[in-house]
Amino acid sequence: MSAGLNLLLVASAALFAVGAFGAVARRSAVVMLIGTQFMFMAGALAFVAFARFGLGAEHGSAGAATALFAGAVAVAELAVGLVMAAVIYREHRSFALDADRG
Amino acid sequence: MPLIGAPPQPITSAPLVFFVYLVLILLIGSALASVLLRNTLYAVGAFAASMVLLALLYLAIAPFLLVALQLLVFTTVSAVLLIGLLRATTGLGASSVGRLSAEWIIGGAVSAVMFALLALVLGATSWPVQSCCAIPESFAGVLGNAYAVGLAVLAVIVGSAALGSGLMLAAPTLPSPRGGGSTTSRSPGGGGSTTSRSPGGGGANTARGSRQ
Repeated sequence: MSAGLNLLLVASAALFAVGAFGAVARRSAVVMLIGTQFMFMAGALAFVAFARFGLGAEHGSAGAATALFAGAVAVAELAVGLVMAAVIYREHRSFALDADRG
Repeated sequence: MPLIGAPPQPITSAPLVFFVYLVLILLIGSALASVLLRNTLYAVGAFAASMVLLALLYLAIAPFLLVALQLLVFTTVSAVLLIGLLRATTGLGASSVGRLSAEWIIGGAVSAVMFALLALVLGATSWPVQSCCAIPESFAGVLGNAYAVGLAVLAVIVGSAALGSGLMLAAPTLPSPRGGGSTTSRSPGGGGSTTSRSPGGGGANTARGSRQ
């Protein structure tokens, strides 16, 4: 039994699918933002896995650096998205993005 | 001389493989819980748990600086942002869950399992970073030398996001263009009965809405 590239890529795909489900199927702005964060996390995990176990492992710092940048961009996106969610809440008293629909 | 050598071998050390499998299962489970839970506060808690689990996974396969940043910066900032939003909008006191309810017991059990897992791995392998091979030695040095432009761009992105967030929070909200009367005109019986239209007339609703 071993843990290698295939296992981490499958886990990354599963995490991306969970995030996509949260971003597409839920109405709450907060849960949609959390879903996008999971998609960022899945991408970063795939980069790190390739840097650790893939053919490009001679430059292992590259994958970790990309994961670092992806995490920072995800945090920036979360900050902007949460402020937009706060503005939506002020307007509709709800985090639901289609609250104005009858 | 081959340009690309053989790929690195997968992890075969039994405690480390067990650690990776368990962390991945918990990570997918907490991600699912975060997306499926109705209570936003619990969803935020599950999201923070999954961020911590990703940092634990990085502990085995990535440089330690990435682990520290994921654990101390990304997880903390994300959780603080989400909880700050909840405090500013719905309030955290809305949850009426008792101290000994099933949710708290399940959360405590999951936390205990995570800490026991960490203690098991630390005890069995002395430290995953040392037991795992091919870790770059000076990741911070590489980051500062080879990715200086990227770090500068990243600083601009994060600064712009902070500035945009502050401006959006400080801006006054405009009054809703719908006013307050839109909810009162949705009764199914409506005023459409005053007109003698054909029974299938869906246009009466639109006319009524535009009048208000």
